Amino acid sequence: MSDHSESTTPSSTSTRTTEHAPSISSDSLSKTKSAIESLSAILSSFPSNLSFSISSNPNPAFSLLHDPQVASQVSSLLREPNSGAGDNNLCRWLYDTFQSGDPNLQLIVLRFLPIIVGIYLSRVALRKPLAGFEAVLLALYAHETTSRAGQPITMNVPNLSLPSVYHEAKAPINNNSTELNLAVISPSLEPHGTVRSTRRARIVGVALELYHSKIYHMPVGSKIDFCDFCVVWAGQDNNDDRDLNKESGSNGRKEGRIPLPWELLQPVLRILGHCLMGNTKNKELFDAAWAACNSLYARSMHDINPKALLATGSLLKLGKKAMEPSEDLDPTEIRKSNVLVI
Amino acid sequence: MELWGDHSDVESDSEWVREVSANGVSMKTTEVEAKLDQGNIQEAEASLREGLSLNFEEARSLLGKLEYQRGNVEGALRVFEGIDLQAAIQRLQPSLAEKPSSRRGRFRTESVHAVSQHAASLVLEAIYLKAKSLQKLGRVSEAAHECKSVLDALEKIFYQGIPDVQVDNKLQEIVTQAVELLPDLWKQAGFYHEAIAAYRRALLSQWNLDNDCCARIQKGYAVLLLYGGVEAGPPSLAVQIDGSYVPKNNLEEAILLLMILMRKFILGKTQWDPSVMDHLTFALSVCSQTPVLAKQLEEIMPGVYHRVDRWNSLALCYSGAGQNKAALNLLRKSLHKHERPDDIIALLLAAKICSEDSHLAAEGVGYARRAINHAHGIDEHLKGVGLRTLGLCLGKQTKVSSSDFERSCLQSEALKSLEGAISLEPNNTDLIFELGVQYAEHRNLTAALRCAKQFIDETGGSILKGWRFLALVLSAQQRFSEAEVVTDAALDETAKWDQGPLLRLKAKLKFSQSLHMDAIETYRYLLALVQAQRKSFGPPRIQVVDDKVNEFEIWHGLAKLYSSLSHWKDAEICLGKARELKQYSVEALHTEGVIFEGHGQFQEAFAAYNNALLLEPCHVPCKILISALLSKRGLKALPVARSLLSDALRIDPTNRMAWYYLGMVHKDDGRKADAADCFQAASMLEESDPIESFDSIL
Repeated sequence: MSDHSESTTPSSTSTRTTEHAPSISSDSLSKTKSAIESLSAILSSFPSNLSFSISSNPNPAFSLLHDPQVASQVSSLLREPNSGAGDNNLCRWLYDTFQSGDPNLQLIVLRFLPIIVGIYLSRVALRKPLAGFEAVLLALYAHETTSRAGQPITMNVPNLSLPSVYHEAKAPINNNSTELNLAVISPSLEPHGTVRSTRRARIVGVALELYHSKIYHMPVGSKIDFCDFCVVWAGQDNNDDRDLNKESGSNGRKEGRIPLPWELLQPVLRILGHCLMGNTKNKELFDAAWAACNSLYARSMHDINPKALLATGSLLKLGKKAMEPSEDLDPTEIRKSNVLVI
Repeated sequence: MELWGDHSDVESDSEWVREVSANGVSMKTTEVEAKLDQGNIQEAEASLREGLSLNFEEARSLLGKLEYQRGNVEGALRVFEGIDLQAAIQRLQPSLAEKPSSRRGRFRTESVHAVSQHAASLVLEAIYLKAKSLQKLGRVSEAAHECKSVLDALEKIFYQGIPDVQVDNKLQEIVTQAVELLPDLWKQAGFYHEAIAAYRRALLSQWNLDNDCCARIQKGYAVLLLYGGVEAGPPSLAVQIDGSYVPKNNLEEAILLLMILMRKFILGKTQWDPSVMDHLTFALSVCSQTPVLAKQLEEIMPGVYHRVDRWNSLALCYSGAGQNKAALNLLRKSLHKHERPDDIIALLLAAKICSEDSHLAAEGVGYARRAINHAHGIDEHLKGVGLRTLGLCLGKQTKVSSSDFERSCLQSEALKSLEGAISLEPNNTDLIFELGVQYAEHRNLTAALRCAKQFIDETGGSILKGWRFLALVLSAQQRFSEAEVVTDAALDETAKWDQGPLLRLKAKLKFSQSLHMDAIETYRYLLALVQAQRKSFGPPRIQVVDDKVNEFEIWHGLAKLYSSLSHWKDAEICLGKARELKQYSVEALHTEGVIFEGHGQFQEAFAAYNNALLLEPCHVPCKILISALLSKRGLKALPVARSLLSDALRIDPTNRMAWYYLGMVHKDDGRKADAADCFQAASMLEESDPIESFDSIL
């Protein structure tokens, strides 16, 4: 697997998947072919343009990733009551497809990560068989562990008293005041062969970190799934429908609320930041992300979690600003004038 | 040369007649526009060339600009497509006029620039407007290519750079606009890597941008870095200067840019933009750097934020970094009656901080009550949180209550609040846990057990303290073997490095069942684990401290174990090891005293206990042992012993040893009935005594 990790780093993958399909090697093509064949055996109906035209399709993995029919079928299979069991065909397919090591196929598995994680975390308390989901999550975790060599992701917090590529510093360099502040964004990774319950949040969190690193390639539908699950996890009714739920729902309980330790919440917030602010033009995604931010903000208030309050609160302010019609003049527009000169 | 009529309020209304002017001549455009409306570009062009004595390209450029200004972008595009702009750029390149070797001939260079700037701005403006037209037609990636060619051409024409003093206003304006537009076009087209390159080109090359424009570009870039989902990688080595800070990932680069923007604002160089602070807040809080954020907030001039908002944000920053004292001081200011006393989040945060310290708990009760009173309307859903913090504060307040009566009042009120909270938020797992602990401290072990089980169920066993709590409740019920089963199950669900607290618990459970050798074996394993951990991570590494067992605790636990077995030699060795790791420790002094007592050195034991009390005046076990020693000295010392024990019981009313010795004191003093009461209390408590105190778990 390690030989593939190199090629899946974001900087080296093709940036133009949305426009041009990257050239596909024959090895990758045969892997894709077998993945498509085994998937078509699992799904009740398979889009004909995918199964028959593999030879004519320049990038079948890309088409598979963006196919709405496949997405909706896989999603509904994943949402079935016993979908996460160890003998589940679809989980096996997801596992095998990810383990194929082909970066384009791995993206397809990641596309369904929000649903897998969403269903998995909400079902943990119900004592349902979940070995199938866990196998997929562990595969993602192991992939990330290998590609990072278990090392933590750290960051040097910028310090303006040191000059940088973007600014000059006035004060002469003084060793004491210019010491950089090292921040651990994601701690080091130990290998895990099984999902021990106390490590569950971390394993899922790392899988979400992987998802975040590939989020540019993810179809909008996948991101919307993610936002919808954020609302479920937060378990916070939004004001008005609260009483309504109480009367109709079972003992006023909202199913799916999960503990949100920082190791899980941090990648969730980063993904949410992308969904909300990455491209505010996609109304559907923006609305889903906006709802998720509101729910997580309410949850942060209930948990009295200062970091989460700051992060979700700032996202809400930014989202609100994005919703307001911009009154700023476009600085790239030329000045209107009735006298034209050259 | 230019007289821009500022009619922006009227814009392109037809009542205004447009004029074009060049070469000192100006003409009305009515006729030209009519020709354009008929789709007759050639004729329109011809009348411009005649009227203003222009060449073909000049006429076309002017025509395109006219169409663009009229809002007819399709028409403008048609006109611009009729000009071979690349050829025009080729002609403008200085290679024709001079060779690179004549670089030093300043005079000549300048004269060339003076000539070509006008021509260049004509061509570049045409390309720029072509890009803008394409953008407006939704053909953004084509627009980006055109816009990029403006910058490429500029670099080719003025490959030596343009001296500031000489830049033609019009040229500078086009340059600035193109530099700003390009990354935005790539972004709109979804080409994020190209956008990143364009942003860096904009910010790292000399374009003579004004502050506001530069700030807009920096902010746009920071936003792309933060939310775009594409890793930019470090900037090329060419722009890196020795000793300067080079961002190596998106977060670093975004935070750097946002900090620079904040600085620019503070220095008055740019307009205040609140969203810069919002982006910075998001970036720094997701990487847990809230103290850095606090510093940024503190640097902002007064008047930008309302002082209460600033205090509250600062409080969140400090509390997010565990600096609760600083946070509370700020909240006290913001919750002052002359400021914003009803801010519910500030009230809840203050109450939560207070609930963690028994000496602040009473203050916290006040905040929590205020929060509950204001939890209505849109904030009604926070009533449960208010009740929860109230319950926690009251529970904590019992630790410092001065009388039994007050304590039991507080305790039942605490339980009532937490029960009220859980009826509002039945699925809040934290609340279930806290209620369980409250029940346990109240010695309602059945209810505590129910909560502990429910907590493990609903969290899927994912939270270690849930397992520990269940084991403690079972141990309090004297169900040691079940507690051990739970501990073993928890060990299965825990990765090696997190097993410390469970193993320590297990050792104590073994000891409680008089399985001393097993207990020692467990400690040995624990010791090996800690040493392996130190080896694999290395000592200077900053580890998360909570939930980890340190080596001191293990040696000390062993010392206590051996001393309770009267293996004094072993106990001394282990204690010695413990003290090497932590010189001044109440626990170690306590055990030292026990060992002295074991050797019959009562004076030394007494000194050790006293030293411990000097370190920590409220250390209950030492108070008990001192009074035990005192009570052996005869009747004269009994009142002192009694007062020490009463004090111990005030601090820890469920301490069965304190009750036992108090009974002994009463008995020695001849108060048989009192003694019997005390012994009864001690024996009842023994039946519900956990192997570690319940509040060790919160």
